[in-house]
Amino acid sequence: MLIEFAIIEKARSGDDQAFNQVVQAYRKRILGTIARLIGKPEDVEDVGQEVFLRLYFSLEQLRAPEVFEPWLYRLTVNAAYDFLRRQKRRPESRMSDLSEQQVMLADASAGGKLRSEEVRRTQLREMVQSLLEEVSEEDRILLLMKEVEGLSLKELERVYKVSENVLKVRLFRARQRVLKAFASRQELESPQGV
Amino acid sequence: MDRMDDKLDSLLSAYRDACPDREPGANFMPELWSGIEARRGAALSTLLRRWTKAWLAATVVLAVVISVFLIPRFQEPPALEATYVDVLSAADSAGDLALLLPQGEPE
Repeated sequence: MLIEFAIIEKARSGDDQAFNQVVQAYRKRILGTIARLIGKPEDVEDVGQEVFLRLYFSLEQLRAPEVFEPWLYRLTVNAAYDFLRRQKRRPESRMSDLSEQQVMLADASAGGKLRSEEVRRTQLREMVQSLLEEVSEEDRILLLMKEVEGLSLKELERVYKVSENVLKVRLFRARQRVLKAFASRQELESPQGV
Repeated sequence: MDRMDDKLDSLLSAYRDACPDREPGANFMPELWSGIEARRGAALSTLLRRWTKAWLAATVVLAVVISVFLIPRFQEPPALEATYVDVLSAADSAGDLALLLPQGEPE
């Protein structure tokens, strides 16, 4: 826990100052998680705002401060999933929808400030995101929560409210699909590999 | 396949490093609070709209009840359909009123 139970209790009973403290304690972590889940840095803060808005209006439904973190992760997962679904329904391109790499390349050609490390990171992000497109938004998020965020099956059970066995099956299938896509890309890119 | 598993693991690990936790912008908190205020206002107006709808529905129901049950009751025919004078003149058909008149010329 990044914050004391007492502060969560205060926020739950409507103390705005305590809510501020909760947001300040968790915002960095939640924004990082969102960035990894949606893969679009330009939209991370908007989704983060939505997570904390939902938190504010549903905090009184929290049964006990002990379940706060899984519950916050659940709100994060739902907001990320809603975002990805909206993106899927809206194929037209706006400037904010351009990939980070495209925007950076545009910036670089304009200002000549392209840094190789940032380019490498951007390429890596785009590669992983395109690999993850092989699975549904739900399974993509589940896989990332397990493999990238490092949540245990027990923690995921509390976030998703489904049994461990169901999670294992979904994770196995998602991983197999991503592996298959990864292997076929490796074949195409050989002999360089990753 | 194990080799691919390992490669995928290292790719995902590298992905995590490529997307580190990030500090929010300076406007994060002010925008969050203005969003909260806006949604509070929207929630209040939704509540008012629901109340208005409920009252409107109740008014319509009451109007229907009044028009179906209460108005016909007030419009029922009166228990006495004729006035007192009408009843008297109807009863006079046998010339009963003539008995009340004087019988002869005075001396």
